Formats: sequence, C-alpha cells, structure tokens
Amino acid sequence: MPCTSHRLSFRATRWIPAAIAGVLLFGCTEVKEQPQSAGPADVGGTMVVATPAEPGSILPGLYSTSIERQVTDLLFDRLAEIGDGLNSIGDKGFRPQLAARWEWAPDSLSIVFHLDPRARWHDGQPVRASDVRYSVNLIKDPSFGSPMASSTMNVDSVSVRDSLTAVAYFKRHTPEQFFDLVYQVSIVPEHILGNTPPAQLKTAEVARRGIGSGRFRLAKWEQGKSLTLVADTLNYRGRPKLDRIVYSLSLDFNSAVARLFSGDADFFEQLRPENMAKLATDTSLRALPYPSLQHTFLALNTIDPAHPGQPNPIFGDRVVRRALTMAVDRQGMLRNVFGAMAHPSYGPFPRYLGVADTTLPQLPYDTLKARALLDSAGWVPGPDGVRIRNGQRLAFGITTTVSSASRKQYSVLLQEAFKRIGAAATVDAVDFAGASTKLQGRSFETALVTFSPDPNVSGVRQAWSSAALGKDGLNYPSYVNPTVDALLDSATLAFDPARARAYSRRAFEIIIEDAPGIWLYEAPTVAGIHKRIHTTGIRADEYWAGMADWWIPASERTPRDRIGLRPAATP
Amino acid sequence: MRRFVAGRLAQAVIVVFLVTTVTFLLVHLAPGDPISVALDKPGVTEAVRQQWRESFGLDRPLGEQYLRWVGNAARGELGWSFSFRRPVRDVIAEALPRTLLLVGLSVVFSFALGIVVAVLQTERPGGHRDRWLGRILLLLYSVPDFWLALVVLLLFAYRVPIFPPSGIVDPVLHDYMSFSGRLADRLRHLVLPVTTLTLLATAAISRHQRSALAEVMPSDWMRTAIAKGLSHRRAVRRHALRNALLPSITLAGLYLPALAAGALFVEKVYSWPGMGLLAANAIVARDYPLITASVLITSVAVAFGALLADVAVAAADPRVRVS
Amino acid sequence: MGSPAPFASIIGPRRTFSRLLHDSRTRIAIVVLLIVALSAVFAPLLAPYDPTAQLDIVRLPSQPPSFAHPMGTDPYSRDVLSRLLYGGRISLSVGLGAVLLAMSFGIAVGAAAGFIGGAVDAVLMRFVDAALSIPRLLVLIMVASLWGSLGLIPLTLLMAGTGWFAVSRLVRAETLALREREFIVAARALGASPTRILVRHVLPNVAAPALVAATLGIANVILLEAGLSYLGIGVRPPTASWGAIIQDGAERVSDLWWLTLFPGLAILVTVFACNALGDALRDAFDPRQLPRGTDATLAKEA
Repeated sequence: MPCTSHRLSFRATRWIPAAIAGVLLFGCTEVKEQPQSAGPADVGGTMVVATPAEPGSILPGLYSTSIERQVTDLLFDRLAEIGDGLNSIGDKGFRPQLAARWEWAPDSLSIVFHLDPRARWHDGQPVRASDVRYSVNLIKDPSFGSPMASSTMNVDSVSVRDSLTAVAYFKRHTPEQFFDLVYQVSIVPEHILGNTPPAQLKTAEVARRGIGSGRFRLAKWEQGKSLTLVADTLNYRGRPKLDRIVYSLSLDFNSAVARLFSGDADFFEQLRPENMAKLATDTSLRALPYPSLQHTFLALNTIDPAHPGQPNPIFGDRVVRRALTMAVDRQGMLRNVFGAMAHPSYGPFPRYLGVADTTLPQLPYDTLKARALLDSAGWVPGPDGVRIRNGQRLAFGITTTVSSASRKQYSVLLQEAFKRIGAAATVDAVDFAGASTKLQGRSFETALVTFSPDPNVSGVRQAWSSAALGKDGLNYPSYVNPTVDALLDSATLAFDPARARAYSRRAFEIIIEDAPGIWLYEAPTVAGIHKRIHTTGIRADEYWAGMADWWIPASERTPRDRIGLRPAATP
Repeated sequence: MRRFVAGRLAQAVIVVFLVTTVTFLLVHLAPGDPISVALDKPGVTEAVRQQWRESFGLDRPLGEQYLRWVGNAARGELGWSFSFRRPVRDVIAEALPRTLLLVGLSVVFSFALGIVVAVLQTERPGGHRDRWLGRILLLLYSVPDFWLALVVLLLFAYRVPIFPPSGIVDPVLHDYMSFSGRLADRLRHLVLPVTTLTLLATAAISRHQRSALAEVMPSDWMRTAIAKGLSHRRAVRRHALRNALLPSITLAGLYLPALAAGALFVEKVYSWPGMGLLAANAIVARDYPLITASVLITSVAVAFGALLADVAVAAADPRVRVS
Repeated sequence: MGSPAPFASIIGPRRTFSRLLHDSRTRIAIVVLLIVALSAVFAPLLAPYDPTAQLDIVRLPSQPPSFAHPMGTDPYSRDVLSRLLYGGRISLSVGLGAVLLAMSFGIAVGAAAGFIGGAVDAVLMRFVDAALSIPRLLVLIMVASLWGSLGLIPLTLLMAGTGWFAVSRLVRAETLALREREFIVAARALGASPTRILVRHVLPNVAAPALVAATLGIANVILLEAGLSYLGIGVRPPTASWGAIIQDGAERVSDLWWLTLFPGLAILVTVFACNALGDALRDAFDPRQLPRGTDATLAKEA
C-alpha cells in the first residue's frame, strides 16, 4: 500500500516516536488531525480561491451570484450577524457586528442601534449612523434596482439620533422584521457613494472600489484575471488570520478544478462527484463538505402553457403527477449522479432550513403501482408504447440548462424512467436565458429547478403559495391549494418558532401528497481545500461566514504564504 | 492595381456589414434575454427587471437598437457586456491579442512546416516519402479539432504532466516572478495550444501547397530547366517554390475562417481566454453586445486577412487583377 | 489556358473509372466506408444492446471495457459499442442528407447565376462571397445554441443551409465558361431550352468537381456535427451520435478515456476514408481539367 508522504507538522518531535511505531505496526503513516486552534504565530498566509465566475459588482445590494455575495460579505459588514442556528424569528442568536447593541421599543415598531465607536471605513473615516440611513434608503430606492428591495418593504425608514445611534422604524410588527433589516442590508459608505445617483451606481467606478468596513479590504481587481483581498490590519473586530485571499478567475468549471489539482489554487467551492476520486489520491488536498440551502426538483406545470388559466391536460391531474413521481428511482439516480455524496430531497425545502422536516411520508418508488395508477386514470398504451387519453399523448419536454452537468444527467435518467411507464419525454437543453424565460413565462411542461432560498420561513411562501403565481413569483408549477396558503401564512406570522415549524410541516405534507414537483436531490456541496488551511464558522447559508478566521499554521507555509502583505511587483 | 484594391476593399466592407446585420438579427430574434438570467432570484420584481432593461436599452424597438448599435460601432463604442459587467471594447481588447498571438504563431509555424513538408514530398513525387507524408497529413486533416486537442492535453498535461493544462500564465505567482520567470511562464503555457493548432493548420495548408507545387512540376519551363542540367531537387527548391508560393498565399487567406473555427475548439479545451472562447461563452450567456461585437471583429479580421492575401497575389501576378 | 474542355470528351468515363479503381487509396477508402455504412445499416443486428437502454444506473455506469461491454459503458450505464454502431447512422445520415441538399441547392443557384448573368449573378455571387468568409462554425453555434437543442432534421437543414456556397461558385464558373462555347450558342440558336442545356451539358461538366466537393463535404459535416455535439448543442439526448458519446465523457476525459477514444477513432477513420476518396477522385479527374480555382473553393469549409 503506498505511503502518503507529508511534511511533518511543527509538533513532529512529539510524534516521531509514535510515527515510527505506526510505520512498524501498520506500514503506513496516516496524517493525524491537526491542532484545533490558532496560536499567535499562525497569522498570515495566502489562500487562492479558484472560481469559474468573475464578480461583476461588489456593491452590496447589487450582487446576484455567489462569488459576488462572498466578496461583498468579506468587504462589508452588517449591523448584526445571524446565529449559527439560522434563527430568523425575532433577534435570538444574532451577534453584534457594526451594531454593538440594540434596544427594542415597547411596541416593537422601532429598534435603536448603537454602533461600535471603533468601526472605520477602509479609507479611515468612522462609520456613522448616517451611513446606516443611507444604506437602507439605497436598497429601498427603485432606481437603484436592488433585488433585495422587496425584502425590506417592512422597513419604513431610519433616522439618525446622533453620529453613533440609528433608529429603524418598521411598518408592522412581524416575526422576521429584525431579520429583514439586518440580514439583507450591508452598510455602505455614504461619503463615497452618496455623490452618484443610485441609478448609475451599477456601472460607476466608485462602486468598484470596495471601500467597506469589513475585515478584508480590496487590494487589486484585475478584470478577467484575479481579485485580491488583503487583511485590514487595524479592523475594529481584529485583523483576519489570513494575509490575503486571491480569487483566481478561470473560464469554466474544468479549468478551475484543474487549478486546484495542479496546486495553483487552494480552494474550490463545489467539486463534482467525478472529482472525488482524484481528490482522495491527492496528498495535499482534502474534501470539505459543508451544509447548504440548495435543493432541486422537477417542476410539473399544472396549467396549460398554450391556454393560461386552463389546467394542463397531463399535469393538471393529481393522479398523473403522483404516478410519475412513483416511476422515479430517486435513490438510484442519486447514486448514479452523485455517488455517496449528495442527500435526497424530501420535499419542497432544503434540510438545513429551520422549519425543515426530513421524516415526512414520501411517495414510494413503485413502477407497477405507477402503471396501475395511469391505467386507472384512463391513460392507455398506444401503438408505439406511449400512453394516450382522449387523443392526448403522454409526451412532454424536460427543460434544463446546457451548462449544468448534473441536471443534464438527471434529465436523461428521468427520460428513461418515464419511458418505462409509457411516457415519452424529450430533453430540451437550452441555455440559461432561454430556460429562465420559459420558467418565468410558465411556458414549460416540466423543468428542472434549483432553489437556493434565504434561511427564513418566507422563502417557502415565495415558492409555493398562490401569492407567488405571477411572473415575479417563484411558483413555477402554478400550484394552488388554499389550505397550504393558510398554513404558510400562519407560519410566517407565528412568533413562536415551534408553532412556525408545526404549520410549515403540515403544509409540506400536503404539498408532497399533491406532487406538483418530483423532489430529486440536494446538491452536494463539497469544497476542495488545501490541507494546510484550517476552517471555522461554516454556516449553511454562507460557508464563508467565518472565512476571516480561517488560518494556516506557521509551520506549513508555502511560498505563496510568504508573500505577506507586500504589494505586487507589477501593478 | 488601385482599382483592384478599391474593389476588393468595398467588397470586404459589404461582407462585414452583411455579417453583423445577420448576426444582430439572429441574436435578437432568438427567444430569451440576458436580464432574466442575471436576475432570476426570489423577490426580484418585474419592476426591477424592467429598470435594468431600460438602463441597458433593451426595451427599445429592434430597429432603433440596431441603428444605435451601428452608430456606436462606427465610433468604436461597442456597448456594455452583461456577463463581464465591463465595456465590450475592453473585454475584446483583452481577448483579441491573445487569439492573435495563438493564431499568428500557429500560422507562421504551419506555413513554414507546410512548405518544408511539401518540398520534401515533391522532390520525388509519388515516392515512398511523398506517400507516407501525405497519409500522415491526411490523418491530421481528418481528425476532429477538439479531439486532437483533448488527446494532446491528456498526454502532455495529465498523463505526463510537463505542461500546464490551461490558462496563459500562472494565476497566482506570475506577478511575483522575475522578468525571465514570467517569460518562461508564458512560454510554457503557449506550447500545447500552439502545437495543436499548428498541427491542424499544417494539415490543411500543406495539402494545397503540395498540390500547387505538383501542378507546377510538369510544366514546360520546369522540364526545360531540368533538361538544361538542373538537378531535380534544386529545380523544386528554387523555381517551383517561388511559383507555388502565390496560390499558397491565396489559399492561406481562404483558410482563415476555418482557422478561426479551429482556434475556438483549441481555446475551449485549453481554456485560452481568446476571441473564440469569448464568443462561445457570450452566446450561452445571451450577452448580445458581446456576441455581435465579437462576430464583427472576427469577420473583420477574416475579411481583412483574405483581402491582404488577394492584394498580395494581385501585386505579384498581374493576370489575377483582371478577373 | 482557356476554358477547360469537358473532360468526358477527352478522357472518357471508363478510363477514369478504371484509373480510380486501380488506385490503392480508393480501394481501401471504399472498403472502409462500406464497413462503416454496413455497420450503420445493420446496427440493430450487430448491436448487443439498445443504444438508449440504461442497464443499471447504480452498478453499471462508467465501466471500463470488459468482456460484457467491449467498449465500456457511459455514465448512464449504456453500452458504448451499441451507441457507436447506431452513432454511425446519425453521422452518415446527417452527412449524406446535408450534402445532397447542399449540392442540389448549390448547383441550382450556381447554374442560375451563371446562365442569367447580369445583376442577378452579381448580387448572388456577392452574397456567396460574403457567406464564404463567415466562419461556418460560428454560425452553427449561434443558431444551435440560441434556438435550443435541434432535432435531426433541423440539424441537417442547418448544415445544408451553410454548406452550399462553394459548390454554387464552382457551378457558376463552369456555366459561365460553357455559355460562350460554340456548341452551346448553336444549341440555343436551335431553340434548345436552358433546362436542356443545363442537364445535357452543364451538369456532366460540373459532375467531377461536384463529386469531389460532395465527398469532402460529407467529411466536413461529420466533423462539424461531432464538434457541435461535443459542445453540447448538437443532437438531442438520448440520441447516440459519435460527438455526443465524447460529450458524455468530456467532463472526465482522463478517467473515462474509452468514451473519448473509440468515438474519436470512428470519426477519424470515417472522415479519413472520405477525404482519401475525395483526393483520389480529384486526382483521377486530372487536375488540369478542373475549373481554375477549384482547389481554392474546396478549401476546408469550416
């Protein structure tokens, strides 16, 4: 058996006798788990993140991709940070960030935030309450065009009591009012951005300077090549352990992964199952699985795309939807596409959502029963094996995107599964824009949809209630059930987390029975990371939440780490 | 001569105009638009999307968009790229030199290699060497571009990892290298893509060079020269080559569109961030301004190349100008 | 040199044919193409499995070549050998279909331009010249990716629609040359209709370069279809085309080498045979007799 050779850690002197014993006993030395906490000398180092997507805008409020979110979160601060339990009701679990403390008014219609007097912008100016007011107004300004605007609708305004005290006023007392304000709004500097009209901030140069109050500052941004963050050594929350994070831009997934495996990069956010074998044999990398809020399902359009308002001739019938669900070997497909890496999806929610319940009764995988159901509903096999009823063939398209390999794989597997019970599916692989158009216009028949919701209860309501039927809403299957509506409304208005969970659970049960979608998988989120980097603070909504505290032991420095804080030779 | 050049120039302009108009129409008539892509998030209202569309000018009638685009393009203003969030001009300005470097080097090497091979072949036409070289070239000519690139990548970047598998420079350490280190880094990254593209280009060009040479061989003046005592080899090298060079240049010019296509696959396999890869990715992202601009630039380059080739041949051979 | 004389009257079809057959290149190429064609036609008999059948998605995906599966299985646990055999059908049918259509259309347009002459000729040829300088692959990628995945017939039509330009130029040149010859002038004076002249005189003369162009054209279309399928915008799943098989293994080229090797070899062998045949045809038709510029217009139209 080949021995994994590895540079000895700094406590080698203690381990050498043990290692020798190990070699003698087992013929090989396994790397022991490294020390858990950073010593004072373990400050410094460079982490290179391979990313297949360039951040377009690093202004909070304008981000739309995950890389933009990540860079924005490292450069800018929020008033408070959500707790690890992802509680979004009230302010339980939230930790102070820019706001050192806060007080609720007795009627809960306003909250007074006291800012940390040590907080500074990266250009040295102090963070003031007027910045908070400016940031909230900016998000709410329609000309700014922030996708977060609708989340902050309950926030009425922010007033400035003095330079370090801001008062936020709310329109109504709702369970998630604190979350809506604090989670969605990152605080930006008024003195830098205030002179530009909000409508122009999308493309303005000032918006690309990345001047925030976060523990990292923007050192260099070379379009198409790399984006470098460097430690803010005088930050009010303490300097980060790492000196530098370099986002190294590749053009696509494969070249990004290649960078990781060739040693050019230290971190890659989401490996695919086919990379895992290579990862296992690579002595300098390890797998870092982390929780996430993504889940994927096959949406079945319950209305007729050709005649909006009329039920779909195939999917309008609950029996057909249930039969199609039973034809799918969800576990088998999961094993085929993701190996042992992914989790199955147990309903219209990701498992790490606070109100999720993975023990709800599921429809079984039973092709005999599926066929029997279709027979009983009047779908008779035609001459070519495809079922027909009243002249309508059981034939439909599966819309998916060209770019996603796992979704493409699933669509081919689903096609075959449906074929076995007499349904003829065609795979319509379109580009991203085409798929989005079809989904928003509800002109698809079935489509593979991936949701990555916010960690709050309203997210579910945004996808499955009748309020979300229109073009702006995410209710792609056009699913309508008044009982579910009532339950989801109650869940979002419940101040008690236990009651919110009970209402949601009942709603989920009904949705699973109605089968407006086939719940397929929760994509495995496994990062590839260099072994010398220790991680901490990983949360399901943002794995980078604790990135400022990731560290590299002093004894495991590589040439890249020794760059230190000096600027680049070529500007 | 001047009239010839003017005629060809006008033709090239018409070609470019036609190409871009057709591209513009194709792109805008296809279903979907880029704003839906970028803003497919929960909570994004139609109002917000509309606002973004307005700021990029996507809601105007097609005719107006086209005229605005043509007017801007004539001034060198090529619009704003959605997928890169930068001016199109900047994106292309970065990608174009990379493709020119790759294609330029490959053309030069393949031209030279092709002539050498063609000469080796026609020294003894029909002989052993001629036939075997011919078969190897035909093999290279028949291989799918992307497959050759994949095989070369597999062999020399993964199985025997001597060259880097992608990119133009080391993504992190390049900036911190010495001058000679940086040069070596760039060269290392160039080897595989240039080798692949050269092999592909040589296969195509060399066939025509050989047939051009072979065409010239039986001609009377060649036979006279040989009869006068010139050795066969020297006859080929001195006289035939010069005469076969001209049609060779024309053919090289005509091969440009195919070279652009070949470069696309090579760029994709090696993640070489040039025009080909840019265009392919822009099409997937429905980045309208970027698509139309990159097709425009590529057509201009191709048309210009063909024009140069035609003019060069016409300058050397007066008979051509008449046709 | 003046306009080329019709080859048939100088060499004679029988002599050309025998020259062809004696060329060993031609013989090997024909044999290879026959093998490919026959294995495509008899695929249902030769293939051990259904090309779209997912045999066991948990235990059999991505298996290397073995006794049970001589060319391995793909990530959907489908047998690669069966898919390769059926893939031949796709490549050959798209290739032949596209080229036949392109030839017909190209000959029609070229003859019309050459015969009618004047403004019609000028406009048509300007258009053809413009089209020839657009990289064909770029157009294909644009249409294929913007309109979503194409079925076989739209794909064939698209290939045909982008591949008729070279032939039309050839035919036009030939028609122009013929128009002035005495026997044509005489024939027209005698009242022969343009169609008759076209069929009896023009067509036999363009047959030679057209045949060469057709053979090389098939090779090109096969390569383009493979390229499009490799990019993921060619034939629709679960159709088995050689390029699609490569695409299925494209993410893991170094691991699933059999998905790249076998279809790649199939493409290489078929295209090589087509090109060899085209070369042999061109040499048999005596290059001096072909219209000037044939070589140029037959440059790899990609």
